Amino acid sequence: MVSTFHPAAQSSATPQPDRSIEPSPPTAAAPCLVYQPNVDVCDCGAEVMLVADMPGAKADSMSVSFEDGVLAVFAQVPQRPLQGRQIGQEYGIGDYRRSFRLGEGFDASQISAEYRRGVLTIHVPRLAAVRPRKIEVRSA
Amino acid sequence: MSLIPFRTKRSTGMEPSSLATMGDFRNEMNRLLEGFLNRPLTGPSWFEAGEPGQWMPAIDLSESGTEIHVRAELPGIDPKDVDVSVSEDRLVISGEKKSATEKTTDGWKHRESHYGSFSRAIPLPEAVDPAKVTARYDKGVLTVELKKSPTSTSRKVPVLTS
Repeated sequence: MVSTFHPAAQSSATPQPDRSIEPSPPTAAAPCLVYQPNVDVCDCGAEVMLVADMPGAKADSMSVSFEDGVLAVFAQVPQRPLQGRQIGQEYGIGDYRRSFRLGEGFDASQISAEYRRGVLTIHVPRLAAVRPRKIEVRSA
Repeated sequence: MSLIPFRTKRSTGMEPSSLATMGDFRNEMNRLLEGFLNRPLTGPSWFEAGEPGQWMPAIDLSESGTEIHVRAELPGIDPKDVDVSVSEDRLVISGEKKSATEKTTDGWKHRESHYGSFSRAIPLPEAVDPAKVTARYDKGVLTVELKKSPTSTSRKVPVLTS
């Protein structure tokens, strides 16, 4: 089931999860599930920071892309070997995929991302021209 | 003059902000259903809650001939902040997830991750040897391997005929 409405107006600088993502088509070799990672989003003024919980992901399989104001994140999670009999399973194993519509005014060339302890942190800096500026008020 | 009031754009509840709320609601329902559907309906009651207000990591539990394997999703946690304790028939995983970005208190637009202390007690399907437990943390996943106690290892009993 894929919903296609877009909550954020194109001009909005407030990041909103992009609901139009589609699950990746299962490959012939190993059909796998796709999960949306839990993400915290911070609008820190000079940049937007996204913190995504992606436990178990392969660091070298990760991709972060920014196109037309949409930041997309993808990571593969290796299938775990089945060890004996499964007694309880609360989380499924599948790839992570999610995208966010951030809008315009970001410097795509300066986006940075790091993966540590199962958490992917992405920094999306704003273009200097649109960064909020504090204006000093001088008294006469 | 119309007696039927027109619904203005604002009154339809379709502003971007309310759509975002609907999206959050849908996400939350998906997560709840996913957790519920993946939960075992039969078997031992190893799903035990911690203190109210705490969060609990999602756990996988499996067993092979002589071992019990437990995996817990603990993204973003310093391994030093994780406490694993084992008694004969119970494994307790507890600790605290600290926000790595505590300094940034303002500006959070959207929060889905859990922070703070957690505790999870997992009744084990068989007695284990507390001296032979290994725990490893890698890429946000804690893996605990437990060796079953030799005294409790199941034994195949031959059925004799008269």
